Amino acid sequence: MQEEIDKKDFLEDGPKTVKTNSLAIPLAIVGAGLLIGLAIFGSNLIAAKNQTGLAGNVAGNENTEQQVLFENLENLEPISDADHVRGNPDAPVKIVEYSDLECPFCKRFHSTMQQAMQEYGDKIVWVYRHFPLDSIHSKARTEAVAAECAGELAGNDAFWKYVDRFFELTPSNNQTDINTVLPQIAGEIGLNETQFVSCLTSGKYDDHVQENLDNAIATGGRGTPWSIVIAPNGKKFPLSGAQPYESVKQLIEIALQEK
Amino acid sequence: MNIQKAFMEVFAHTSYIALASVLAVFAFVFAVWFPNLGLIRDIFTISSAPLAAKLKITFSLLGGIGTNFSTLSASYTIAIAILFGINIAMIVYLLRKKRTQLASNTLATGLGGIGSGALGIGCATCGSFLLMTILSSLGAASVLSLLPLAGGEFGILSVILLVLSLALISRKITEPLMCKT
Repeated sequence: MQEEIDKKDFLEDGPKTVKTNSLAIPLAIVGAGLLIGLAIFGSNLIAAKNQTGLAGNVAGNENTEQQVLFENLENLEPISDADHVRGNPDAPVKIVEYSDLECPFCKRFHSTMQQAMQEYGDKIVWVYRHFPLDSIHSKARTEAVAAECAGELAGNDAFWKYVDRFFELTPSNNQTDINTVLPQIAGEIGLNETQFVSCLTSGKYDDHVQENLDNAIATGGRGTPWSIVIAPNGKKFPLSGAQPYESVKQLIEIALQEK
Repeated sequence: MNIQKAFMEVFAHTSYIALASVLAVFAFVFAVWFPNLGLIRDIFTISSAPLAAKLKITFSLLGGIGTNFSTLSASYTIAIAILFGINIAMIVYLLRKKRTQLASNTLATGLGGIGSGALGIGCATCGSFLLMTILSSLGAASVLSLLPLAGGEFGILSVILLVLSLALISRKITEPLMCKT
């Protein structure tokens, strides 16, 4: 009698167990994949629709649907006189970097770009644009305006000297004492401090910084540093984060071949 | 103790070491490439560069673990990848060898660990990707500035959940086979 019950239990439980097992393995793996996949897809969707939350308003940006999945590099604002360029403006490869002066990875990437400029000379040009992430670096926007003021008071070279010195001097992550450090750097690079402070408080570069930031987001920037490498034939390649010099070098080499 | 015993049992089989290793490498590579999936796509679709150059840049991006991650985020990214591989290998072992059902709490803990790990991925570059964008959708991006590790908490949580999941699976693996009343 007991044997019959056991047999019955086995017959009932056996197939049930096998069925559960066969589902559990793919469920665990697919579930994990789905979680990651959905998170990525969802975050892109959310990022496109909530750009104000990430870093500010995106004025007149009607391409959000196209930005949902990948970058939209065609939204890149053409390089103009309003930009700050280092190197040969007619260089075959152009690198547009969107950067946040309080971002530690931007600080690291700044050195990488300096190394690239040294190695490639006239073959590349470096364009610096602002991408202050207000929600995590509340001081970055003011610092971006300060760099613009340096450019206004003493030209393009002063802008770059300001940015170089700023990254050298400051610890990143919003720890800069801007009331002391900004005028200090202005003094070090030979700017008139009174004029500098007056420019800084005037608000005249607020729109310019905001336009840079809007364009960073419109091209697909979701964090800093965010760079776009433009090949001689106009093809554009996105580069996100402070990638190693070897990657930057390889990307420049690939871009140089695109004629 | 359970974990050690379960490890000895599962990883006495080379195939499970191979499975855990492949999955760990896959998870690690995915996490490091994640910020530049768009670049990798473009390199292989619109670039006319030779294949060797394409492969060279793709592999060089793995060096981002040293430049594009903080020490903390690099540490938990590597830990998550390894724990992910081990977890899945042990789940597969448990299901195949023990012919037992996976308790829902074990599965939930494991998936929770992987999910929070996904949140932690890509936090390396300033303000970027999953966590930032998800929080911004909730109007809570500034919350990040209140977190002492600026989002690194999710990576640490993920490691804890995956270890917990490992402990639950290990207990199940080392349980003596018996009929329960």
